[in-house]
Amino acid sequence: MNIQKRRKIESFLALSFSTAAALFGLFWLIFILSDVVIHGAAALNLDLFTKDPVPPGAEGGGLRNAFVGQLLITFFATLIGVPVGVLGGTFIAEYARGTKFARIISILSDIMVSVPSIVIGTFIYAVLVKPTGQFSGWAGAIALAVIMIPVVLRTTEDMLSLVPWTLREAAFALGAPYYKVIVQVVYRGAATGILTGILLSMARVAGETAPLLFTSFNNAFFSTNMNQPVASLTVTIFNYAMGPYETWHQQAWAASFVITIFILIITILGRLLIKWRYKK
Amino acid sequence: MTTTIELEVKGLNFYYSGKTQALKNINLPIYSRQVTALIGPSGCGKTTLLRCFNRMHDLYPGNMYEGEILHEGRNILSNENDLIRLRSRIGMVFQKPTPFPMTIFDNIAYGLKLKGIKKRAELAERVEKALKHAALWNEAKDKLNASAYDLSGGQQQRLVIARALAVEPDVLLFDEPTSALDPISTGKIEELIMHLKNEVTIIIVTHNMQQAARISDMTGFMMLGDLVEFDHTQKIFTAPSEKLTEDYITGRFG
Repeated sequence: MNIQKRRKIESFLALSFSTAAALFGLFWLIFILSDVVIHGAAALNLDLFTKDPVPPGAEGGGLRNAFVGQLLITFFATLIGVPVGVLGGTFIAEYARGTKFARIISILSDIMVSVPSIVIGTFIYAVLVKPTGQFSGWAGAIALAVIMIPVVLRTTEDMLSLVPWTLREAAFALGAPYYKVIVQVVYRGAATGILTGILLSMARVAGETAPLLFTSFNNAFFSTNMNQPVASLTVTIFNYAMGPYETWHQQAWAASFVITIFILIITILGRLLIKWRYKK
Repeated sequence: MTTTIELEVKGLNFYYSGKTQALKNINLPIYSRQVTALIGPSGCGKTTLLRCFNRMHDLYPGNMYEGEILHEGRNILSNENDLIRLRSRIGMVFQKPTPFPMTIFDNIAYGLKLKGIKKRAELAERVEKALKHAALWNEAKDKLNASAYDLSGGQQQRLVIARALAVEPDVLLFDEPTSALDPISTGKIEELIMHLKNEVTIIIVTHNMQQAARISDMTGFMMLGDLVEFDHTQKIFTAPSEKLTEDYITGRFG
């Protein structure tokens, strides 16, 4: 009797604490999101996407430069990061499977995933920006690519490992060379999983500010020259939010809203892919 | 019945990496266009032997062969042997169905494309022929562009057989092809195997002694890496020469 009563109390306490913890986390999440939506949606207008910034303090203008810059940097980061990540993951899961070397890369990638992004930013600053004496869009794209690579590599490795070995053996048994087995059979089996990993890694880097501060810097003017500083949404938000002008604050809210929606869409797309994959 | 020898195993020893000897001095002929069954208790080496014929062991480092397996006068175990060519001559069907994640048509066409056949018309013709051979044409002809995973387990296994047949191999290796299937699907596969022996030489590993008795012409009984007895199936199951064979087939162990 006594024991049962104690258990009931313990169970009630555990339930209360875990519910309270979940609510606490959820509260802030909803607080932030609703704040972004309320302020951001209110400040949203077409000028934001079609016009470039006006001189500080003046009314009007938009953030076309930052939207285009953000897309450029993310695009090139993906272009660099995805092939390296996918090929690296393929090497570990296929050619170097089971070797010590593969395990070391795998563990290092896990560590790389959790390295603070500002460290990556300063690293690229030291190896690319400082020697050339020039902030550039390329440096920003490479910094984001470096963040993407371990994420894509590990997802690729995991997804390839999930493809049963008998499937590879069946392809070998038909007389297929290894690269054809990988490209034509194994990749097909793991395609949705790898694609999901790529999308989620894109979502992750699209929201990064710290690595861009030291690399692509920022640009108040419209520029698609990747050899020059390129504007990005995240750094613009950072600058505008700290600035003294009310129009800047409004535009920072709007930009925050847009980038949140952008990341949300990519994430949902990734989740849908996972769902679709397991439904099949 | 004229019997030519398709494959001849001579003094074959096989070692898995880590030096465990899995096959000990195996000698046996595989007769052309007959079904040869390999039976024996778990771990006796029958699957290991089967996987020597298409050098599947080469996929994993450290494995070692000794001795010879002769095919058309050449030792397929020699290092100069072209494995890609070998595997297109000696096909394999696995325990669990292994359809590739692509359409039914593309599954069958896969081996043909590897051989360099690209013409759509020729591919279509040979896919149809292979599916008919594997007794799957009637069930699959209306959904050639559907995913191979839409087929049932038994159909998938016949698809895999069709895929192996499409490249017109000399020999087909079956590794317990029905152990993951229901009795009706099993019956269809057995029927198919007996039918196929008119065109290809078949080696089948099975746990099911009744299956070996039903479908094979020759049977080899293996134990602990030794080929204990090899003879006509009828003789093995009615009057085996070895005491061990008799004990096994009468269910005294295994």
